[in-house]
Amino acid sequence: MAGIRVENIIKLFGKVRALNGVSLEVRDQEFVVLLGPSGCGKTTLLRIIAGLEHADTGRVFIGERDVTALPPRSRRIAMVFQNYAVFPHLTVFENIAFGLRMQKASPERVRAQVDRAATLMHIEGLLGRYPAQLSGGQRQRVAVARALAVEPEVLLMDEPLSNLDALLRLEMRAELKRLLAESRTTTLYVTHDQVEAMSLADRIAVMSTGNVVQYDVPMKIYQEPADTFVGGFIGSPPMNFLRLPVEGSQAKIQTLALDLPAAPQGREVLLGVRPEDLEAHPQPQPQSFPAEVLVVEPLGPHLLLTLAYEGQHLKVTVPPDFETRPGQTLWLRPQPGRLRWHDPGSGEALGHAR
Amino acid sequence: MRSERYIPYVLILPSVLFLLFLFAWPLVEALLLSVRGGDGRWTLEHFQRMASDLYFKDAVRYTVLLTVVMVPLQVVLALCMAMLLGGINRGRDLFLYVWTIPLGISDLAAGIAWLAIFTERGYLNSFLQAVGVIQEPRLWLSYETPAMLFLAVVAAEVWRATAIVFVILVAGLQLIPKEYGEAAEVFGATPWRRFWRVTLPLLMPSLQVALILRTILALEVFAVVVALGGRNLPVLAGEAYFWYNAYQSPGVAAAYSVLILGISVVATLVYLRLMRPKQEAAA
Repeated sequence: MAGIRVENIIKLFGKVRALNGVSLEVRDQEFVVLLGPSGCGKTTLLRIIAGLEHADTGRVFIGERDVTALPPRSRRIAMVFQNYAVFPHLTVFENIAFGLRMQKASPERVRAQVDRAATLMHIEGLLGRYPAQLSGGQRQRVAVARALAVEPEVLLMDEPLSNLDALLRLEMRAELKRLLAESRTTTLYVTHDQVEAMSLADRIAVMSTGNVVQYDVPMKIYQEPADTFVGGFIGSPPMNFLRLPVEGSQAKIQTLALDLPAAPQGREVLLGVRPEDLEAHPQPQPQSFPAEVLVVEPLGPHLLLTLAYEGQHLKVTVPPDFETRPGQTLWLRPQPGRLRWHDPGSGEALGHAR
Repeated sequence: MRSERYIPYVLILPSVLFLLFLFAWPLVEALLLSVRGGDGRWTLEHFQRMASDLYFKDAVRYTVLLTVVMVPLQVVLALCMAMLLGGINRGRDLFLYVWTIPLGISDLAAGIAWLAIFTERGYLNSFLQAVGVIQEPRLWLSYETPAMLFLAVVAAEVWRATAIVFVILVAGLQLIPKEYGEAAEVFGATPWRRFWRVTLPLLMPSLQVALILRTILALEVFAVVVALGGRNLPVLAGEAYFWYNAYQSPGVAAAYSVLILGISVVATLVYLRLMRPKQEAAA
């Protein structure tokens, strides 16, 4: 077991800066998710840690070892690939045993480790088959079992669930969480799916254009995004951002005045608020502001409303039995303590929510 | 839209007719020719004449020997070249084009080019004389030096026909998703074991195609041999040609053709059997 530490990684592809001086530490036994939109550099960072790519500058440590110059085979890692990369010419048994065979493990140890990994992944009945005879979900299990069988110091996963259909993905997600909580393997997991990141991670590193923009526990990332990018990327629907005028140390929404944690630079400020943190009322309320309903979308567990406040759009979720229709004016009451304030220029958060 | 169902058949019809006319019909004709006498009765006399001919044993021996020596040499060489090409980033296309130049040269032209090297006043003798290894020009391609003649044919054929194997293997290597190699690397395989345990097994379908194609073509080797050695190195296709032309005996020529066909079919079946994909073997 070991942690991972990367220091100041810069990676250029031609003239494109894929990674812009990234530093990150994954503690021993921690499950960290690299989350970001495609092209943010998360897979490149993972591949640099695996040794499949080389950084232009920066160092990679696994445990106390500096592995920057080592080839992948000397890094004592295991990896699960996005398209599984389960060898088609080997049986399931030999696939899972591959890493052990490369270590020249004894036949008894190979047998024991393969059985253990296969049992963990519930594929002990498939050991004699070839990958062509397996479903996508089963191949996925083989890929994970192959990684677990070598008992790596560090487990790297590159969007391992993205090729599965929605239902299977949900099932595998929970299973992976249980499995890795039991084995306590240090894991770095790449995904663009924020729900997956929230559900699995001990900590999430949100990446954007070659930088880690926020690195924190999932609920902090969700409730206290470091900037408008994180707020807009995490959560479905994403966080609302309302541009509001500033008067002294307060922001104004019509008659409603909200205290700011710090004085912003300009005359305006962005209010970041999650759709579920705005309470909708059909009648005027204290501490609220009016907005016109544009669209009503029934989504089952709740209704998703799109409203307009002074030309700015807002998403709000309300209980499914809430009666409303387009054109109606609702009064929205922000939940105190759940508001984030951002600088409209840089998008960065001004301080802690009040 | 009933008529649309026939469109695919209509579209492939010209090529089917072409193949029937130029391949199937001559094939049947040759088969009939080899088993029919002048009076039209069924007979094995052409095969008997073929087998009792002075050159027959040598032709079989040299053809098989050439195939057994040339094909593995070409495949190993092409595999090395293809793997090397995979390791090149800059200038990769240049290597690819240079290595495939022989593809554009006809086999007779290739034979003549190599004749210019090995002939009595050729480049090889001039070179050896210039560096002082020999005083007088040596004969390399006479009936008295069958080993040297054999090696010259192997050299010319390897030079000429390795490129086609190379092209097939390069295409095959490109079909292998790079994740397999990466997975092998991550799970501890050295480059050597990666090649043996992952690349080579995954390349099997392309290797099979290349082997079948090269073996069939090697069994038909003709123009290079004729250009370099005439009949000093008898081969099966050459004998068919001599019996047809010089001896005016189409029946025996057809018997040789049928023999080549038979060996080719057997060789192909052996390859298909030995190199079956594992998944099928298990099923």
